[in-house]
Amino acid sequence: MIALLRGFLWLTGFWLAGETLVVLLGLPVSAGVVGMLLMTGMLMLRVGRLDDIAAASQPLIGLLAMLIMPGVVGVFFVADDFAGQWLAVAVALVGGTLASVLTTLLLMRRFMPPEPGSATPEETPS
Amino acid sequence: MRASLIELQEALLATPLSAIALTLAAYLASLWIVERIGRPSWCPAVLLAALLVAASLWMLSIDVIDYQRGAGWLMLLLGPATVALGVPLYQQLHHIRALWKPLALSLPPAAALASCYSLALAWALGASPEVLASLAPKSVTAPIALGIIDELGGSVPLLMGGLLITGVMATLAVSLLAAPLGIRDHRILGFALGINGHAIGTVRAFEMSPTAGAFASLGMSLTGIFTALCLPLAWRLLGL
Repeated sequence: MIALLRGFLWLTGFWLAGETLVVLLGLPVSAGVVGMLLMTGMLMLRVGRLDDIAAASQPLIGLLAMLIMPGVVGVFFVADDFAGQWLAVAVALVGGTLASVLTTLLLMRRFMPPEPGSATPEETPS
Repeated sequence: MRASLIELQEALLATPLSAIALTLAAYLASLWIVERIGRPSWCPAVLLAALLVAASLWMLSIDVIDYQRGAGWLMLLLGPATVALGVPLYQQLHHIRALWKPLALSLPPAAALASCYSLALAWALGASPEVLASLAPKSVTAPIALGIIDELGGSVPLLMGGLLITGVMATLAVSLLAAPLGIRDHRILGFALGINGHAIGTVRAFEMSPTAGAFASLGMSLTGIFTALCLPLAWRLLGL
């Protein structure tokens, strides 16, 4: 429990450090992303206790879906604000996503070296 | 009697705890339902939970603004939760070291095109600048996308809806396209799920295999970082 609190303090501290950099340097990036990069860098330098930070990070990451849910609720109340644009939105999301998945698969197939060991893993694709 | 009921409703609306309780109840209920119907990939628990909250607000005739003011206390945790994504990123760093060359060649164009295709389609169909700004970060994991949308000036509800649809579509597209393209490498399938389908795709990848899941979470974090660093800058340069 104390490890979790220590980890949460690290996470909050990095968010605040990120916010400080964003405000001072006028960065067009969110404080969370800057804090995440700072923390990854710090872990690479072996500063801070990974155990503590992981103890607080894992539950938070597991709860991400619930934390964004209040934002999703709003989508059911904005139908009128974007009247006449829903076709554009739907085509952009469906068509754009299909096209980008196809591009990603083709790019990765072109550049990814063969897997070490065997050609295909034994896991069954489903 | 009637006057005291109104007083009670006002008291309950004044505290953020009622919004938090509603959020937790809806989320737990939707997890239970989704588990019951066999976890279909077209219906993530978030979507069902959001529908349950929306329906409750409508039935109790509570303004969504009041609800979101209370639930904002819960969303405060998104800040530290975004920082927390650095832990899986750090744990996947050995993959980046081993595969930096194919990653450097394929990830930036893939992440950029994920945004550009949709922008081009929406623009061609006459979407307003606000809609374009809301769709641009659609392949980015939600906590990072919420930070990007602040910079671009889009609509948060529209972005959230777009994120959900994108995640579901990306999951469907990967399972449809993998066989015709002859791709059975779980590293590639995982990457494609993470880059295009953010958290929803990553969940699906973990169901395929731990390898696919690891590469999906790597693809998701790298896409998030790349888009968060480049998109607001590109937006500013284009003068949008």
